[in-house]
Amino acid sequence: MTTIARDVASQFAAVVGRDHVLAGDLATMLYARDGSIQDDGDCGLVVLPASTEEVAGCMRVAAAAGLDVVPRGSGTGLTGGAVPLAGSLVISLSRMNRITEVDVPNSCAWVEPGVLNLDISTAVAHLGLFYAPDPSSQQACSIGGNVGTNAGGPHCLAYGVTNQHVLGMEMVMADGEVVTLGGPAPDPPGYDLRGVVVGSEGMMGVVTRICVRLTPEPPAIRTMLLDFPTISDAAAVVEQVIAAGVIPASLEMMDRNMLRTIEPFVHADLPVDAAAALLVEVDGTPADVEAGTDAVQRVAAANNVGHVRVAKDEDERALLWKARKSAFGACARVKPNYFLHDCVVPRSRLVEVMQAIIEITDREDLICLNVFHAGDGNLHPIIAFDRRDADEVERVKRAGDAIIRKCVEVGGTLSGEHGIGLEKRDYMPLVFTEEDLEAQACMRRAFDPDERLNPHKVLPLGARCGEAMLGGREPPEGTWI
Amino acid sequence: MDLTPTTREELAEALAVASDDGRTVAVRGGGTESRRGRPCAADDSVCTLALNRVVDYSPADMIITVEGGALATDVAALIGAKGQRWASADVRPGATVGGILSAARTGKLRLRQGAVRDSLMEVVVATGDGRLVVGGGRTVKLVTGFDLPRLMVGSLGTLGVIVQATLKLWPDPMASSWFTAEGDTTDMLALANDVLAAYHRPAAVIVRPGAMDACIEGAPEDVVAPDGARVSVEPANPEGTGLVEMGVPPAALAAIVRRLDQAGEVFEAWMGTGICRVAVADAREVASVRALAVEFGGHAQILDGPDDLRADPFGPVPPGAEVMRRMRAAFDPAGILNPGLFAAEVTA
Repeated sequence: MTTIARDVASQFAAVVGRDHVLAGDLATMLYARDGSIQDDGDCGLVVLPASTEEVAGCMRVAAAAGLDVVPRGSGTGLTGGAVPLAGSLVISLSRMNRITEVDVPNSCAWVEPGVLNLDISTAVAHLGLFYAPDPSSQQACSIGGNVGTNAGGPHCLAYGVTNQHVLGMEMVMADGEVVTLGGPAPDPPGYDLRGVVVGSEGMMGVVTRICVRLTPEPPAIRTMLLDFPTISDAAAVVEQVIAAGVIPASLEMMDRNMLRTIEPFVHADLPVDAAAALLVEVDGTPADVEAGTDAVQRVAAANNVGHVRVAKDEDERALLWKARKSAFGACARVKPNYFLHDCVVPRSRLVEVMQAIIEITDREDLICLNVFHAGDGNLHPIIAFDRRDADEVERVKRAGDAIIRKCVEVGGTLSGEHGIGLEKRDYMPLVFTEEDLEAQACMRRAFDPDERLNPHKVLPLGARCGEAMLGGREPPEGTWI
Repeated sequence: MDLTPTTREELAEALAVASDDGRTVAVRGGGTESRRGRPCAADDSVCTLALNRVVDYSPADMIITVEGGALATDVAALIGAKGQRWASADVRPGATVGGILSAARTGKLRLRQGAVRDSLMEVVVATGDGRLVVGGGRTVKLVTGFDLPRLMVGSLGTLGVIVQATLKLWPDPMASSWFTAEGDTTDMLALANDVLAAYHRPAAVIVRPGAMDACIEGAPEDVVAPDGARVSVEPANPEGTGLVEMGVPPAALAAIVRRLDQAGEVFEAWMGTGICRVAVADAREVASVRALAVEFGGHAQILDGPDDLRADPFGPVPPGAEVMRRMRAAFDPAGILNPGLFAAEVTA
């Protein structure tokens, strides 16, 4: 445990108030973790600012003291992105949880980073609007964290990921400067720094206000649960539905292990004897929904579908979604811990990769449950385990390693929506060369030249941006770049 | 020296040599975006048109990987044969995929299809000093490393040359049609509002002087003409000596349309998106259009125009300029690519 000097702590107290600086053992222990299985966190001090000005004040104190800074939302991240190392300062944004402006004419809202994802949609539901990205953790995860990881969710298949729904942000830079990038007016001149900040895992600045796009609720929605005798049949449906020119709002797969784990938890009458089930939602106009439903059912019929269950009302739809979104929590019924990957593979390789995952986890004698965004090719194999069993932990790591390598081998990548954080960091050389990683290190240093923001994440330790690359060349006269 | 390399390695090598020698380079694809930014006087030029291969196309995965110099119309024909399209791009004759991305040239279906920046999944860039750098990945969704694809879109060839791009495609709609109505501009604004309210996610609703154009896509029974409109085609860009694009909060467009119409301007406002394109004759007109955009909380840049019009193509220096400078220094350390293009505001 590393502690931050008392005189520095008192400077933070002068900015945020004494009650909002947490230094005790319990606090620093709690804030040393996130939703991942990383257990090597070391939190020096926690501050909870309530405004942009307070964040800027904290950043100035941290800069003067040379402290590393880890911005934190709800701490639901799954890759260790919010885990502080070596006594970093943690800036928790959880007190900045106001929706400051709902701008209906411009279909957007300005929100603070601590606002929970689902609370945005709840707040604007009476206007017929919603915030589209819907990670399974949406009741708990913060919008600031969503920006950090470019979060996805089932409905991102048709609606797009966080980057497409964040129009702009106010951000405090490492030195305390406040900058606003983007906003409701599209395509501002210069480089798209807004787009670069989304998905930057807290390594480019501390986002203090976010301009999110609000989307009109579709006039019609139909939710279907289809079960299949084999995973191959279900995967064939995924591929063929999309090849038929239909992009459902969401297209999710659950395998037998997952269905059997969720059912006693949610009581949704899931098809627990099927090898796999697809949760498909089509939306749009009533005619869109009819056409989409026809296509899905036609393709399913040609691929050995068992039952086609159509949600008859909003309650049944909510129940089916509750089943899907409870998946990770339900895993606690199997084993106390879980480890999951977030690889994305080409849709056309889904069957092959699913089979490989089963072989790998069988070989290591592990329980693997699958629930994932099939339409995007975004896998979430969940390996249930008990961290007190050292041998099992080793087998989990070996299986995880083999799964990642298989996904990359078929042209996939490391993460679709959870990010790299600490957990996937050392796999980056599997998909990027040294030169690619150096370029990414430079992108980070362009924002944070001292590399104090969430250090040691995303980029493997060898990836450095050379001093020569940021030589501080003055732009030609009369230009800004 | 004007080069048209046939491989990305050759292109990168040329840039490496130019950086070493301190020779500036104008980057060019099909030339459709060459009248963008402040005119650059470069020692050499490099053209991507010979880098035009299709690297990989998997219709089932709905992604295509092509070289940066591939003509967007060729790509459209190839994917069109499979019932797919690059829906957010402004695909014009002569434009290359790399050019459309470098210029962030989103097409008129933006209201439904979004910005072209969101379609780029992986990018390979030849940096100013001749490195070949890959960012993103060839999957339809990812957050694996920092977002080089987003950085490249709209960078106008000042960070590097896009030598390869992987694009996310969309299926052709079941049905699609443009419709046009004509009448008093104020009435057309009202009709545009009706269309926005009556249709679920129209693909485009555009108001021009004395006309309203709408593109409706989806199930055949939904593709019906708005009241008083007839079947038509995508409207042409406003014609003038130059073309300015305003970006304003979408709700401001109604007031802006009224003001532009009163002033007798030739324009097209993409209702619901915040984009409005205005034909301009001279620098004075650029300034007045920009002032209007700024008044409503937006900005305006010159999309096209002769050299003498483009002294001040972007207006005020945007927030984050210091970060942009460091990005440029990292990707083009010698500052050889399209030098001077991002001109700062000319103060009178």
